Amino acid sequence: MIRTVLALFSIAVLICGVIIYRPFSDTPAAHSAPTDVEVTRAAGQGTDTLALAAVASAPAPRPAPVAAQPATPPRPDTSDTDLTAMTNNVLAELGFAGVSPTPTAADADRASTADILANISAATGQESVLDDRPTLESIVVAALRAGESDGEIDRIVNEAAASGDLAVPELLVTSDGRVDTHVMLANIVTQAQIAAGGAAPAAPRVTPDNTQGMEVRVVQRATDEVQARFYTVQPGDSLGAISIKFFGVVSYYDAIFDANRSKLASPDRIRVGQRLVIPQI
Amino acid sequence: MGKAKITAAALCAALGPGGIPAAAVFAQEVRITPLKSDSTFTVNDRSFTITRGQVPQMPVPDTAGPCPPACLQPLQVAPGVTTIAELELLTFLETTVSAGDGLLLDARDPADFAAASIPGAVNVPRATLSPDNRYRGDILRALGATPDGSGDLDFSTARTLAIYAAGPVSPDAPHTISDLLDAGYPPEKLLFYRGGLQAWQLAALTVQSSQPPD
Repeated sequence: MIRTVLALFSIAVLICGVIIYRPFSDTPAAHSAPTDVEVTRAAGQGTDTLALAAVASAPAPRPAPVAAQPATPPRPDTSDTDLTAMTNNVLAELGFAGVSPTPTAADADRASTADILANISAATGQESVLDDRPTLESIVVAALRAGESDGEIDRIVNEAAASGDLAVPELLVTSDGRVDTHVMLANIVTQAQIAAGGAAPAAPRVTPDNTQGMEVRVVQRATDEVQARFYTVQPGDSLGAISIKFFGVVSYYDAIFDANRSKLASPDRIRVGQRLVIPQI
Repeated sequence: MGKAKITAAALCAALGPGGIPAAAVFAQEVRITPLKSDSTFTVNDRSFTITRGQVPQMPVPDTAGPCPPACLQPLQVAPGVTTIAELELLTFLETTVSAGDGLLLDARDPADFAAASIPGAVNVPRATLSPDNRYRGDILRALGATPDGSGDLDFSTARTLAIYAAGPVSPDAPHTISDLLDAGYPPEKLLFYRGGLQAWQLAALTVQSSQPPD
C-alpha cells in the first residue's frame, strides 16, 4: 500500500516537473528573463513615433488553425448581385414605365476596372479595353425580347452558369446546384406588377397538408408556447423558392438564412433533406 | 537586453530627422548614393526624375491604426517573390520599366494614390485584383497575360511587376501579390517593395501628386 502511494506520488511530482520546466517545449520564450524589451507600435499618426518600452512581455494571441473545407458538389458561381436590383434593371431595359435602372455591384466593378485599364494603358502605351461578357441581366433581357419559353430560358441560363461565364445571385442556387429560373421569372412578374401599381402578393396559407416537407410544432417556452414552422428542403428548392412558398415574395430569403445560420454556410448552400426553421415575420 | 538597446538606438537614428545629414545645406548634396544624385527613367515615353531631399514629408495614411488590418508584414510574402528596397526599385524603374518590360503598381485606394505616389507608378487598388472582381481577367490581360485558348491565361509574356502600398504595416501589397499568385501570375515576375510610400518619403525621395491643387 505504502509502495503504491509512493509510486503514485513520484509520478505526480514528475508530471508537475514536466509542466513547470517544459523540457520538450520549443518556445525559447519560456526560459527567458521575466522582463523583455518590447517594441510596440504607436497608435497615433506620424512616421517617427516608435515607442520602445521595457515591459513584461505579453503572450501573442495564437491564430486559430484553419479548418479543412469539406468537398462540395459543383455549383454555379455566385455574385453579390441583388436579385431585386437585377430584376429592376431587366424591367427598365425592357422599357417598363416608371422603372429606372439602379446601379449594381457589377456596374461598380466595371467602372473601377475601366479606370484601372486606362491607367495601365497610359503607362504601357497599349490599348486595353474591357471585354463585354454576358450577365444574367443581359441574358434574361435577350431571352425575353426573343419571346423564349420559360423552359428555354431555364436551359440558356443554366448552360451559361455551368460554363462558368455567369455569376448568379445566391438565393437562386438550388439544392442540386442549378439556377432557379422559375423564381427569377416569378420575381420579374411580381416586380412588374408592383411597378404597374399592383399590390405585392400576400403570403400564402401554408399548411402541412398543402406543402410537402412542412411541419408545425408547438415549442414550449418558459412563459408561453409558440407554434414553430419547419421545412425540409425538397429536390430543386432554392432559398428564393422557399421564401416565395412561405411569404409570397423572394425578399425574405435573408430572414430564412439568418434563422438557419447554424446549418447554412451561405444562402446558396442548401441541401435536400435539411430541416430549416421558418421565422415568424 | 544590450543588443535590444543597440537595435533601438539604431532604429531611432534611422527614423529620426537625423537620417538626413545636417551638413547637407544644399538640396543637391542629398544624394541617393555617393555615385548617384538622381534617377531618371521613362514610362511609355514619359520621363520621370527622382531625387532626394526635395519633398516635405507628410504622414502617409493607413500606416497607423489598429491591427488587424494594419499589421506588420513579413519580409518574405510568398516563395519566389523577391522583396526589394529603394535602390533595387530605382534600378527596376530605370531598366525593366523603361524598357517596357515591367510596371510599378500602387495597391492603395485611388484617393491615397492621388495625394502622393512614387513617380511612374500605376494605381491598381487591391480590390480590383481580388477574385470578387468579375473583370479581373481584363486587368491581367492589360498587364501582358494572353489567353491560352483553353479559357486560362498564359503569363509568359506578362510584365514584371513591383508592388507597393502605404508601408510595412499595410496588408494591401501582400494581398495584391497573393491575389496575383492565385490568378496564376509567376512569382519570379513579382517584386515586393515592403517599405512602401512611408519608407520612400522617409528617405526624402521624390513623390508625385496627381491631385488638382485646391
